Amino acid sequence: MKKLLSVILLLCTVASLAACVGKTPEEKPVEFKPALDTTTTCSITVVGGYDNFEALEAEFDTFNEVYPNVKFSYQKLDDYNNTLATALEGNNKPNIFFSNAWMIGNEKYAPVLAHAEDLSDPALKLNLDCIRPGLITRESKDTVHMVPVFSRTYGMLVNENLFKKEGLSVPTTWTELMSVCAAFREKGYANPMMGYSAKSSSCLMNTVAYPLFVAALSQNPDALAKANNLDPEAGPYMRTALEAVEQLVKNKCVDLAKCDEIADNYTKVILRFFEGDVPMMICQGDTVSGTKKRESQSEAFTASPFEYSFYPIPVNEQGGYFIDSPSIEFSVNKDCDNLDMTNEFMRFLISSKELNNMSSIKRLVSPTTDMSVDSVYAPFTKIPAERTFSPEVLGIKDPLTVQLRIAAFKVGKGELTIEEAISAYGSFE
Amino acid sequence: MKRIWIILVNVILIVALLTFVILYTFFEHRESTKLQIEHYKNTSITMKHVTENYLEGEQRICDVWARYINSKDMTIEEAASFIRISHVLPYASAHIVYIDTQSGLSTKPRQDDPTDFSVTYSRLNLLEDLSWIHRIGEAINITRAYTNPMNGEQSIAFCNTITLHNEETGKPRTAILLRVLPISELEEKWVFPKEEFKSTELSLIDGDGDYIIKGHSFKNSSFFEFYRSYNTIDPASAQELFGKITSLTGSLTMKNSRGEECILAYTPLDTTGGWTLLSFMPMKDLEINAENWLLIGFVAAGLVILFVFDLVIMILFNKQLQHTAREAASANRAKTDFLSTMSHDIRTPMNAIIGLTTIAEKNLDDPKAVGENLRKISLASNHLLTLINDILDISKVESGKLNLNPQTFSIVESVENLVNLSQPMVKEKNIDFNFRIGQFEKEYLYADQLRLNQIYINILSNAIKYTEPNGQVSVDMIEEASQKPGCVRLTYRVADTGIGMTPEFMATMYQPFSRQTDSRVTSIQGTGLGLAITKQMVDLMGGTIDCQSQPGQGTTFTIVLDIPVADQQRDEMKLDPVDVLIVDDDEVLLETAVDTLESLGVTADRATSGLEALGMIAHRHETGRDYGVVILDWKMPEIDGVETIRRIRSEVNPDTPVLLISAYDWSDIEEKAKEAGANGFLTKPLFRSTLYDKLSEILGTEITSVEPETDYSDLEGLNILVAEDNEINWEIISALLSMYGITTERAENGRICVEKMQQAAKGSYTLIFMDIQMPEMNGLDATRAIRSLQDPWASSIPIVAMTADAFSENVTECLNAGMNGHIAKPIDIKLVIKEIRRIREENKK
Repeated sequence: MKKLLSVILLLCTVASLAACVGKTPEEKPVEFKPALDTTTTCSITVVGGYDNFEALEAEFDTFNEVYPNVKFSYQKLDDYNNTLATALEGNNKPNIFFSNAWMIGNEKYAPVLAHAEDLSDPALKLNLDCIRPGLITRESKDTVHMVPVFSRTYGMLVNENLFKKEGLSVPTTWTELMSVCAAFREKGYANPMMGYSAKSSSCLMNTVAYPLFVAALSQNPDALAKANNLDPEAGPYMRTALEAVEQLVKNKCVDLAKCDEIADNYTKVILRFFEGDVPMMICQGDTVSGTKKRESQSEAFTASPFEYSFYPIPVNEQGGYFIDSPSIEFSVNKDCDNLDMTNEFMRFLISSKELNNMSSIKRLVSPTTDMSVDSVYAPFTKIPAERTFSPEVLGIKDPLTVQLRIAAFKVGKGELTIEEAISAYGSFE
Repeated sequence: MKRIWIILVNVILIVALLTFVILYTFFEHRESTKLQIEHYKNTSITMKHVTENYLEGEQRICDVWARYINSKDMTIEEAASFIRISHVLPYASAHIVYIDTQSGLSTKPRQDDPTDFSVTYSRLNLLEDLSWIHRIGEAINITRAYTNPMNGEQSIAFCNTITLHNEETGKPRTAILLRVLPISELEEKWVFPKEEFKSTELSLIDGDGDYIIKGHSFKNSSFFEFYRSYNTIDPASAQELFGKITSLTGSLTMKNSRGEECILAYTPLDTTGGWTLLSFMPMKDLEINAENWLLIGFVAAGLVILFVFDLVIMILFNKQLQHTAREAASANRAKTDFLSTMSHDIRTPMNAIIGLTTIAEKNLDDPKAVGENLRKISLASNHLLTLINDILDISKVESGKLNLNPQTFSIVESVENLVNLSQPMVKEKNIDFNFRIGQFEKEYLYADQLRLNQIYINILSNAIKYTEPNGQVSVDMIEEASQKPGCVRLTYRVADTGIGMTPEFMATMYQPFSRQTDSRVTSIQGTGLGLAITKQMVDLMGGTIDCQSQPGQGTTFTIVLDIPVADQQRDEMKLDPVDVLIVDDDEVLLETAVDTLESLGVTADRATSGLEALGMIAHRHETGRDYGVVILDWKMPEIDGVETIRRIRSEVNPDTPVLLISAYDWSDIEEKAKEAGANGFLTKPLFRSTLYDKLSEILGTEITSVEPETDYSDLEGLNILVAEDNEINWEIISALLSMYGITTERAENGRICVEKMQQAAKGSYTLIFMDIQMPEMNGLDATRAIRSLQDPWASSIPIVAMTADAFSENVTECLNAGMNGHIAKPIDIKLVIKEIRRIREENKK
């Protein structure tokens, strides 16, 4: 017994000493198996239009647990769309750059996409199957020059507390929407709905109109073809969408004068919503991504926090639509230094785990097939498949979206009538 | 104390020490961290100065360009051309941008179009507000980091407002001159100056926290947003903190994007409006104090090793203690066994002495019975004395106090003594005893004669003791060269035809009180200590002892000793040429004796029997060449030595000197031999010196008859002073000496003895027998006092110790005090007489 006790005491002492000597190395991700020498030292630069990209930086950190000597940096390029091509030709060529589906086919971005690597190359072993097929744009010969890392959609942020407080339900049809807006006005809410309206880009009018236009075109391939070709004959397909915008304004659901006071379509929209007096804030998913971080930046929200969610705008009696569209996509610069390690990073990143993780941090909808979303997007999971559209799958081109955006903006502002806007389709710049 | 408590105390001490070391290290670490942070902050301030100097330098270049352009009324093309000529840095460029159009010319073409030098800033939101651009030379006008529209590189630009000549209107046109530097180049130069802070990353932020230049570990587009993203802080505190960062110099700790604790040093640049330099590094890289953990590790390891060492030592000690306890118990048992054995062995002869004394007392009227009883008492007494001597010796051996007292001695005398001592038993048991020696070159050796004799006697007496009557005992002693310098090797081999020993007994025969369990042995008196003492003494002398034995076959002991040769040796022994006949039936003895005789310079013939000798003597006599000396062995087949002498005398030559040699005590045949005509006696073995002395005596003097041992007339009239405090001992010595005609006077103690010597007339005493332990003055002091007396006779009188202090060191002590000899009590009157004669002989010399 004494000998046993002595041995135990000795082992305890030795064990405690061993504990002093060092700690157990942290666990490595189990799914990802490195294919390159993990001691490789190199730099990888990602350029994009985001001011900051914490979600990506978190992925850098995770990747560094496997490849500790790979130095990552994310850089925002000023005037991204115009400087990207120059940067890709520059002395410090970025390894990965933001890209958008609308760049495809646009002559201006041909030099950009000329640098993009074909990510469908089996040699790269990218798991593209983890991404919803409708979000991947495949070009001729089935090449893939960009992979989405986030999905964007259109809807409205809803202050759940206000609805509860006023005994109202979140509307699910156009009629209910009108009724709710009227009810809020009666209860003293001057702006039942708000959104960014200062410029056409990401304006609330487009956010309301776009899903309806896409839905309308989805029923008529010929019309879609005309719309893509900016054929004025496609103008009438905007009518429903433009009417919805006009109704919102006319029914005083939206006070554009007040909305114009919101200086930008991102931070200011969020902070205005966090003031707590706006029941519904029309915006895109990209804007929702900034809400979490700005909760602490809003004194009003910090003082009086409330529950909020992102809902589809019930643009007709059947409810709203889920426009499943890629937000930011990544392309690999095939002319960059350290291309092997860049592809290794992409192999690491393009997985359900990492994309979902990044979406969670960014508070955007994940592009993965398992549709993992943040709780704020929960209402979108209830939208039936027949009301979910992927513009890329439908074949909607970027020039089309520009026509609708300007038309909706001008109708909303009262600069054009619906008829004028329809007849001007194809001529908006 | 129980072992568990010792272990617990050890563990508690280890934990306490470790806790102390860890706490000490922790506090040291904290202090060190504080110092390091302060050092880091100061380095950041240095970095700030470096940055300011750099920025000022770059701004100065821009200022020079701007002044020159302004002074020359240049067009935009001329200005661009001038700057291209002035530009020396390959990576830098300059842009001249009209304020009104936000476009202009670059000194370097677009990266994607080498012919296009036009540049536009209209979409960069950089030059819309120009309030930050001061007049030339007044301040550093630097942009935030932005994307150079000409090459897409992240860059910064030093700016000045310039006025250009407008060729179209002829009016001056205001433009901004931007000296553009890529941040990548800047980062390579913009390195923290201290090696120990090499993981530091730098950023420059403006008053809103937006990065001007952004290090890799800095996240977000604004430092303030970066801080809020990874650190918990409320808006009010954040406001206060950010205000502090952009206005003061200081440091703080914060989490980076990986959740690591980092140190941030901030210091505002004096030369720029509201810019702050940030130095950022993980705390783990700051804390360069791995040695402390090394120290803890070493201390901990040392303590564990000490702990384990203690445990091992403790276990070993315990085992040793257990072993010692077992040994002590064993020793205790041995002591008990020893006492029991001693009690038995002492009581046995004591019983005989007391019993026989009682019987003798009751038979005083029967002299024969009394005589027989006294003989037996004497035997028992001798055995008791031997036992006591052996006990004393073994006790000294076992206590490690047995010391050797070497002195010069004659090996010849030792061997003679050995033979003499063995004779009674040899004769009693009628043992065929042979003592052969080889050539002995060195007679005088330097060793502890007493112990050497003891070794030889023990082995020989055992051989005789355990050899049955009519058996055979032979002794061989050989002198050889030794490998030890100054020594000779003496090999002493005693072989008997006795009862032998079993292998089991031989394994333990050198242990005290070992006696073979044998019915024949138990009837033989012995202490069981002899072999143990012998072995110890042989070991002490550096020799070896070997034993070959088989039960019933006999035993052979071989002792080999390397003994130093004494400086003193006899002069060369050479005799005048003479013919000698030596007769013995032992061929080996004959061979040795002939060699020895011839080495003495005589001519030696040999005969192996008395009859052959008679023939040879007769033949010589007839031819007129009589032998000078005839040496005859006593015991020979056919006719023995005495008969041969008789027949020589009667049949051949009555005058030829004849010596009779014997390995036995020749006192029995002395009368008969003398009657037959023997001229002298020789005792085996025949040493060279023995032969030389005897032949010299025979040939050099008148043939004299041998002086009988029983003639004590030379002792008559001697007067001996006996210093003895014990009445009985005095009576014994006085009575014994008076039997030889020696008179004695008594001194009751040392002091009286000295007084008597002071008062005595010259020649009053022949010598002094001095007891050692006496009242008032002991024998040693008395001797010293006598030796220091003025009277030469008194101070040189022979003094012989007569004491019960029988150890060799006691003997040495006596000799050192000035005595001339030592006799141990109980006294053997023969030894006393011998000692007296030795003293007298020495005095004569």
